[in-house]
Amino acid sequence: MSAAPAAATSVPGAGGKTAALEVENLRVCYAGLPAVDEVSLRVEPGQVAALIGETSSGKSSLALGVARLLPASAAVTGRVAIAGADLGEMPAREARRLRAGLVGYIAQDAMAALNPVLPVGSQIAELFRVHRGMSRAEASEQGVRELARVRINRPERVARAYPHQLSGGMRQRVMIAMAMALSPPLLIADEPTTALDVSTQAEILGLVGELQTQTGTGILWITHDMGVVAELADWVAVMYAGRIVEQGLAGDVFDHPQHPYTEGLLRTRRDLRTGRPGAPLYQIEGSPPGLSAGRRGCAFAPRCPRRSAVCDEHRPELISVGEPAGTKLPAAQSPETRGLVACHHPEVAS
Amino acid sequence: MARTMIRRFAFGAIAVLGVAALAFLLEFVVPGDPARAIAPRAQSAAVLENIRIQLHLNRPLVVQFVDYFGELFRGNLGVSYVQRQSVTSLILPRLATTGWLALAGVIAEVIIGGTLGILSTLYSRVRAVVAAVNLVFLSLPQFVVGLLLLLVFGFRLHMAPVTGGAGLAEIVLPALTLGLVGAPWYAQIVADQMADSLASPYVRTAVAKGLPDRYILWRHVLRNVLSPAITMIGMDLGAYLSGVVTVEVVFGWPGIGLLAVDSLQNLDRPVVMGTVIVGAVAVVFFNLVADVLRMYVDPRTREDPA
Repeated sequence: MSAAPAAATSVPGAGGKTAALEVENLRVCYAGLPAVDEVSLRVEPGQVAALIGETSSGKSSLALGVARLLPASAAVTGRVAIAGADLGEMPAREARRLRAGLVGYIAQDAMAALNPVLPVGSQIAELFRVHRGMSRAEASEQGVRELARVRINRPERVARAYPHQLSGGMRQRVMIAMAMALSPPLLIADEPTTALDVSTQAEILGLVGELQTQTGTGILWITHDMGVVAELADWVAVMYAGRIVEQGLAGDVFDHPQHPYTEGLLRTRRDLRTGRPGAPLYQIEGSPPGLSAGRRGCAFAPRCPRRSAVCDEHRPELISVGEPAGTKLPAAQSPETRGLVACHHPEVAS
Repeated sequence: MARTMIRRFAFGAIAVLGVAALAFLLEFVVPGDPARAIAPRAQSAAVLENIRIQLHLNRPLVVQFVDYFGELFRGNLGVSYVQRQSVTSLILPRLATTGWLALAGVIAEVIIGGTLGILSTLYSRVRAVVAAVNLVFLSLPQFVVGLLLLLVFGFRLHMAPVTGGAGLAEIVLPALTLGLVGAPWYAQIVADQMADSLASPYVRTAVAKGLPDRYILWRHVLRNVLSPAITMIGMDLGAYLSGVVTVEVVFGWPGIGLLAVDSLQNLDRPVVMGTVIVGAVAVVFFNLVADVLRMYVDPRTREDPA
């Protein structure tokens, strides 16, 4: 509803190619309190965009909001175009018919996300029965093929298994097979490897990378794990308290983090990897704020080492890296290479 | 799975024996002399003593106990003091009669309760009405509901027979009584399970897959509601078969409950014991059946615990 003027600005530099995902001024409110606020982002086909943030930073709300999977109690506004189509704008019937062909959703906890009383094969096969009009037999064969595609051994056998009979990694493969069954242009992965052990994580990451090269799907990968980001992502957006505070090419963000929060996240990770035994690990003081309306100033200010008077007064806009603070630019949707940061005191690139 | 079943079966057998032993002991705590009940007008002490000797009532309790269970293991439930007929031949036809009523009652409560539960989950406007109806039937005892139905449909509207019996016309009101009194439980469990299921991540997955609402409801939601409902159906069938005493008394339904009441009044110990044991077996049996059915609908319950 509150379509900020920035939304009206045309996409800079978007020449012809339709983005896998284009989000403009997305806002998700629970009971009037914004969990996601004025978020704009873009995922190109074949690109992995990672969305990083702590618990309660709003990243899952963003994911579910984009897929239009939030319960009716959540108020979602803003524009979400998946391969040019906005599920929120369509009549419910149409959205239902198109959804699985547009966006695949991989949940964090595959055990809970799979129906416990149905064999996993039939949970994949039903996609083909409902959306492709296949017969029961054709669909179940197709289901087995999809399981084989995600590198499951003896897929005929696994197809007949129930979720609780599979390992965590296998269940996540099933989820991936399900999400990609109809070859959607966009895949949303909501911390899909968090519940897995490290070696399984690596397998899953490898698998997703491989599938992506084959299919050219755009992926929005949500995580709090910088390691996953480093391995997979082309583009990175860092979220804090419901807003994107920094985004850019993965390499740029990693090498030259502008926002103190990004820097903090990177530093905690660096300490974990290279810290001397016994040396204290770096941690960002304090904890993320809860949902609140009408916050003044920068949400990160209370935890910020660079905090100054202006931080408590004005919320910093998301502007291109290198612009002088205070410059008001549209929250650009596709700054193909240039990063954006929302900070009054960005790290000056050396 | 087989191991689980064998263990459940063994526990069931132990439970039945325990119930039988307890019932046996209780019957001797209850004051009263079966001999007097059999020959109430015979004043002569000699006659009464004779009856006691005939029925082995003069022997020590331990001996009677051992005798009874010895016969029980041979499948012999003894002979009725009053009717001079084997207890088995008295109970079996009654069991069948009660069986019909139990089945009809369970079907009624599942249909009424299930419908209310589903409607109240899907339509928020119905919810308050269903909750109110539930409360009313939860707080009304069976005999009140039974008598009300009898009064309205039997005596006022003449739509149902009021004279008792075990025919097709006579079954409607007692079954409806069981159904109305039992329905709130089913409505509650169905509504709770459905709400859980609808809010679950796997239903969100189903929505994400673009499946039609009705398809999700039948295939993904109700399948998950089935399991607790089956457990409850098993418990109810067992409980009803062990005697729906109030309903049978109110409607004059000649089932096992009515037999138990008559036998208790006559101090006809073998028949009382018989009804208790048959009831215990029914409870154990239908719980087992429910467990097997649950394994069929919920694969998670199939594995043997390690």
